[in-house]
Amino acid sequence: MTDVVEFRDATKAFRGNPAFRNVNLTLRKGEVLALVGENGAGKSTLTKVLAGLYRLTSGELRLEGAPVQFASPAEALRCGVAMVFQETNLIPSMTVAQNIFLGAENFFNRLRGVNIAAQQHLQSLNFPVEPTALVSSLGAAKKQMVEIARAVHHKARIFIFDEPTATLTPEEKQHFFALIGTLKKQDASIIFISHALEEALTIADRIAVLRDGQLIVADDAKNFTRERIVQAMVGRQLTAQLYGGETARRRVRKRGEKVLALENVTMGKAVRGATLSVYAGQITGMFGLVGAGRTEMMKIAAGVLKRDFWHGGRIKLRGEPVRFRVPRQAVERGVAYVTEDRKLDGLFESMRMAQNVFLGRLAMGANPVAYVTMAEARRQSERWLDALNVRAIDKNAKVIELSGGNQQKIVVAKSLIQNPSLIIFDEPTRGVDVGAIAEIHHMIQSLADAGAAVVVISSYLPEILSLSDRILVARQGRIVEEMTVDEATEEKIMYAAVH
Amino acid sequence: MTNTPRSRRLASRLLGSQEGIVFVLAATAFVVFALALPGFATPGNLVSLVRSVSVLGILALGMAIVVIGRGIDVAMIATMVVSVSWAFVIARTGYPLAEALVIGGAFALVAGILIGALIAYGDVPPIFATLAAGSIIYGLGRTFFFTLEMQNVPPGNDWFDFIGKSRVLGVPVTVIAFAVLCALAHFALTSTRFGWQTYAMGSNPNTARTTGVPMRAMVIAHYALSALVAYVAGLILASSASAINARLYNSTMIYDILLVIVLGGIGLNGGAGRIRNVVLGTIFVGILLNGMTILDVPFTIQNLVKGVVLLLAIVFDSLVNPRDEQTSQQGDL
Repeated sequence: MTDVVEFRDATKAFRGNPAFRNVNLTLRKGEVLALVGENGAGKSTLTKVLAGLYRLTSGELRLEGAPVQFASPAEALRCGVAMVFQETNLIPSMTVAQNIFLGAENFFNRLRGVNIAAQQHLQSLNFPVEPTALVSSLGAAKKQMVEIARAVHHKARIFIFDEPTATLTPEEKQHFFALIGTLKKQDASIIFISHALEEALTIADRIAVLRDGQLIVADDAKNFTRERIVQAMVGRQLTAQLYGGETARRRVRKRGEKVLALENVTMGKAVRGATLSVYAGQITGMFGLVGAGRTEMMKIAAGVLKRDFWHGGRIKLRGEPVRFRVPRQAVERGVAYVTEDRKLDGLFESMRMAQNVFLGRLAMGANPVAYVTMAEARRQSERWLDALNVRAIDKNAKVIELSGGNQQKIVVAKSLIQNPSLIIFDEPTRGVDVGAIAEIHHMIQSLADAGAAVVVISSYLPEILSLSDRILVARQGRIVEEMTVDEATEEKIMYAAVH
Repeated sequence: MTNTPRSRRLASRLLGSQEGIVFVLAATAFVVFALALPGFATPGNLVSLVRSVSVLGILALGMAIVVIGRGIDVAMIATMVVSVSWAFVIARTGYPLAEALVIGGAFALVAGILIGALIAYGDVPPIFATLAAGSIIYGLGRTFFFTLEMQNVPPGNDWFDFIGKSRVLGVPVTVIAFAVLCALAHFALTSTRFGWQTYAMGSNPNTARTTGVPMRAMVIAHYALSALVAYVAGLILASSASAINARLYNSTMIYDILLVIVLGGIGLNGGAGRIRNVVLGTIFVGILLNGMTILDVPFTIQNLVKGVVLLLAIVFDSLVNPRDEQTSQQGDL
């Protein structure tokens, strides 16, 4: 078999932080390659380079032996590379036929002609989709078919699927696998990213495991077992230096009062009957892969999201049933949520550091005409900025000018100044430098030591293991496993988290 | 030679922001008019210049608060003409004018609260909510409250003339009202919880919500305030002209308010700008209009000039201060 795609010493870095480095990987003609790895291992970034969304920082990408550099997804598509995203890229208000021809329209289009051509095309692929149906009326599986039909229509020979089965029902999954078979028969090459290891083992010809941006192993699927994959996914030496040892010599904190209890909480498809408890005086770690619903569960507890009105389950704060409509109500009751996406809802980027932190304090009071000065803001925020060791050359700097680590510390300080008794950290060290990670971890530890109930959501196993006293594992909108840190190992957690 | 860096620094400060650019433009226009037009730089004309735009400036203050909180209120003129006209109609049926004015104010307040509630609880985008509310308020007013376009100030209320026509120490009361309201708005925005949370909402509404800012109450307060400010501006306008003309609703006044805001440097994305930007925008528009009026430029040409100046200021600003993808993405109108 010939190599269709080849990554040679490929590295992609964002602002100096490599998403993956020195990857050597080939994709052969007519094969199915499964890419597996933890969140943030670099799978998505790697495929996005191939699809023309990013460019390599160094190394090269070869397509059928010739080095290429795609400027845009459109150019990649012209060269035969099509990516099917987790959230589909179709236009919901247009029909199936219009979507298939999107970007390949003639100057004048006759609706009937387009519909007939689309019908023939769909039939040749054996897809049972009505060309005149609106895309918004289709289910997830059919949307995927339309997307694939569009890619085939654009003469794609290499298909990339990012978590294709995550949103599908079991029946739809079978359909999807049949579809991959069809594509394979037509000599197309397929890369698919999956968290479902069984799927990778059954339908892939080869499996490549990525960890921390490096290709660990790529081998024929028949040489793999589930255990070998999990081991390849989690086994690390490098990171052990940063987190290592802490677990062993640390004492496990005793649980205090039960602060938060979720009972059978449901929200749409993201959270489906989650039950969990959080106790004072200890750190509860939450692990799960993308789409497990960890963030959503905690956002519901903090009033950022609302659970279903009917059959939404119950939430108790210190034994008292609560239903928060807005985050403000939660904040008043001493619940703070430190977001995973500080740009989206963690920072006031155009405002100064002290203002950001002090606004957290201001949100606690009610009197709108209360007198506020910058000096007061500096004085009150200083304590927390010092405690977290925020280093900025200019005390008046706007938050947008700070480094990722300092920005994260500002978000944390903004919540801590509210003096919460339950504090939820969602990916507290994402996009943060090593020094700041240590300082934020230290702060999290001392909060729990001081008696607060602390939740840490993380996709990074060493972080979960080094911080938590108690670990919850989420999968498909539920908590599926609870363990103390003594009995937890990376393999055990990962085993519970994958399907 | 030694002061080259300093002057360069000054130049970069002036041209480094839209505020500075407009300041330079305003100063240039002032100098040009002062040299070219004999009657322009006299104290009498300068006072009348400020006076002629103070109503616009007051309206812009209300708009500024809403815009900084990432909203927009295009119903201001409708609220203004309807509430003031209605107050006059009530007064003419026999009520004392003072009581009628309280009723008019209450109407404006209720209108503002309803608009705010529509936006805060109904999640209607502010531009649509206020556009619709404006025509509903105007329609209601013209159908049920009054039929004549022109509503004169009820006779026998000489005290009402005070705010629009008299002077204190040679300064028109209108200008004093503008100055006092500016000071109040400045204090509210820079030194109260309300003001800080307004900037926070404009800077990032998602963060404000998660942090626990009472978003809905704040939004309602913004629109209630802008309606009240519109009412006050309407009273001053009616007092100085001895009447209020409902046709203002169909004029370009609401665009003039936005012109003042945008020229002054209060970004429509919210979270940026201060009261001094409103003052700057008001004075610049005042200089332009006054100069053109002395030159006897026809009204339509004046509008054309306003439009061109606005466009130039925006284009020049985006050339000097290029926005990156992320800042331009968030919250365009």
